[in-house]
Amino acid sequence: MNEVKSLFYRESLLEKLHEIQNSYGYIPEIEIENLAEKYMLPRANVYGVISFYSMFYTEPTGKYIIRICDSISCHLNQSDSVLNAVKSFLNLESHQTTEDKKFTLEIVECLGHCGEGPVMMVNNKIYKKVNKNTALEILNNCL
Amino acid sequence: MLRTEIDGIKIDLDEKMSILEAAKKAKINIPTLCYEDGLSIYGGCRLCVVEVEGEELLKPACATEIKAGMKIKTHSKKVRELRKNLFELIIATHNIDCQLNCLTCSRASNCELKEIAEDIGVSKMRLEPIKRGDSVDNSSYAVIREPEKCISCNRCIRKCEEIQSIGIFTTANRGPETVVTTFKNRGLGNVECTNCGQCILSCPTGALHELYQKDIVLDILNDESKHVVVQTAPAVRIAISEPFSNQAGDIATGQLITALKRLGFDAVFDTNFTADLTIMEEGTELIERIKSGHRLPLFTSCSPGWIKFIEHFYPEYLDNLSSAKSPQQMFGALAKSYYAREKGIDPENIVVVSVMPCTAKKFEAKREEMAGDVDYVLTTRELASMIKSAGIDFLNLEKSEYDELLGVSSGAADIFGTTGGVMEAALRTAAEIITGTELKKIEFEKLRGLEGIKKAEIEIDGLKLKAAVANGLGNARKIMEMIKAGEEFDFIEFMACPGGCMGGGGQPISCDDNILEKRQKALYKIDKNKKLRKSHENPYIKKLYDSYLENPGSEIAHKLLHTKYKARKI
Repeated sequence: MNEVKSLFYRESLLEKLHEIQNSYGYIPEIEIENLAEKYMLPRANVYGVISFYSMFYTEPTGKYIIRICDSISCHLNQSDSVLNAVKSFLNLESHQTTEDKKFTLEIVECLGHCGEGPVMMVNNKIYKKVNKNTALEILNNCL
Repeated sequence: MLRTEIDGIKIDLDEKMSILEAAKKAKINIPTLCYEDGLSIYGGCRLCVVEVEGEELLKPACATEIKAGMKIKTHSKKVRELRKNLFELIIATHNIDCQLNCLTCSRASNCELKEIAEDIGVSKMRLEPIKRGDSVDNSSYAVIREPEKCISCNRCIRKCEEIQSIGIFTTANRGPETVVTTFKNRGLGNVECTNCGQCILSCPTGALHELYQKDIVLDILNDESKHVVVQTAPAVRIAISEPFSNQAGDIATGQLITALKRLGFDAVFDTNFTADLTIMEEGTELIERIKSGHRLPLFTSCSPGWIKFIEHFYPEYLDNLSSAKSPQQMFGALAKSYYAREKGIDPENIVVVSVMPCTAKKFEAKREEMAGDVDYVLTTRELASMIKSAGIDFLNLEKSEYDELLGVSSGAADIFGTTGGVMEAALRTAAEIITGTELKKIEFEKLRGLEGIKKAEIEIDGLKLKAAVANGLGNARKIMEMIKAGEEFDFIEFMACPGGCMGGGGQPISCDDNILEKRQKALYKIDKNKKLRKSHENPYIKKLYDSYLENPGSEIAHKLLHTKYKARKI
């Protein structure tokens, strides 16, 4: 938008967002503003990029981010019963965080293990062929 | 040379262009929605798709470059069917769940969607409207957003980012959840919006409009205990007839005054009068700063969109702004002091209404530094709607004159309505004050025209003055960067809107081609036909100083006519 060109390539923005997300667990407002300044982009534009990707957060998340796949393969293997069990156990809807900041729940699209669904992720760890009982056991182990 | 065939019409093109532009040359209209002249190509709405011989898929005309030998069909059966289907999908996202809400929409009289529907021959609507349940964004004093009417054409986003260099809008989320919003969905009043209203001019639906004050003003006009005065900005008189005649460039000053009197205003005055006064105050400031060499370049301060822009983005330069209030605010301050005294009316009972080509003026009137000067601000569009709803036959009205005391003005004030006008008006006065002799030629041709940035070196009695004029905030930013890079100027006129006030965010939405050229021509014509063409020769300005303000820059002038600015966060 300016005559003066930014020293940062627009393409590297996503990488920077990952770095920030990894160090804070979310992307604080001040960092969005810093990025906007460095990349010479409107801050709304940076916010738009963040909101496009479901793995970025603008608010602090829980210690454990629970991702449950509800794409077709997992759904056919009854991911909905896993999902319902987890929802009522944590008393959360998708994209919400428990008050004690321990769990964040996300219903997501494909996690890349379609032959072994339902698939669930806790932070970076993948759990395959889960059912409602094993899912709750995994959560209990986090407590 | 490119030889192509569009709908059987053979055309030869000398340069590269899109299919859309080429079709225009062949006098063929292809319907568009997300396309807007002057903005980047988005290609999102797909309404402009055409058939290209030999290509399996339809191509968007706006985003496809025309090539030699192409045979294009713009209105084949296949294309028309697809356009109708696409339009149905688009309309389903636009709150038409209806209770006849088209009748109450801000775009009831000039709906772009309705025009497109006609262009593509829509004959049925099969889809249930999608309800997103978004609430209206009422956070701003100037611009209101109704997200339920938004069809995500992204024209507001591109206008704000590409023309105004701000970028308060973005798309957020993905897929069917995609919405147009502001930073963290904070709302227009809580982000770095300058209130310029250019987004309103770009919006094809009623999703963006000004904060309406027309109903409150009608109520006040019915209140017998109030003395309601109105002021009209220079750019209103050359645009107010557009919603009635659908053509641009007509001068309707006399009809405007008659209409305001019929609406019941107790006195009809002219912001032009205080434009002349601005020249006296700002011109004096310019001469002082040039003499002392301090705080140069001097920046003009009439455009409230520009003021909010510099407060957000270049607060380190706030000292360069003229401390003179804008003509709107000067008028309010005088109406409640000088006019009240001359007429023996209690200022408490005076209500000041302004009619402005501007949405940012609504915010300006609310600024705490000047609170109370102006009570209500109407846009040109709002006034046109009030005139219509009062049953006034505007185009056939007899002409009237402004009331005296705050209603007589020079041609220098009229040209405040166009880019370059404030600069020219200031030079007419400053040159004569500095040299003490009469200017031979009062037209400064170098400062006229519609270019985004104009620069000129002006010599007055051996004194060389480096002047620049910028219109549109993108151009304002360019000048600010030139200054930061060390370029020197003495005096710079900044206007937030492309074309200056005549292209303001409160003006009627385009109904004609080349509206800016036509409006500008009309303003220069008014100036040329006036006997009085220099602000300092206005007898009512002289009277005001003699009987009330003493002289430009006096203590009382400072108290009433000058203000302060503040740095704002981004």
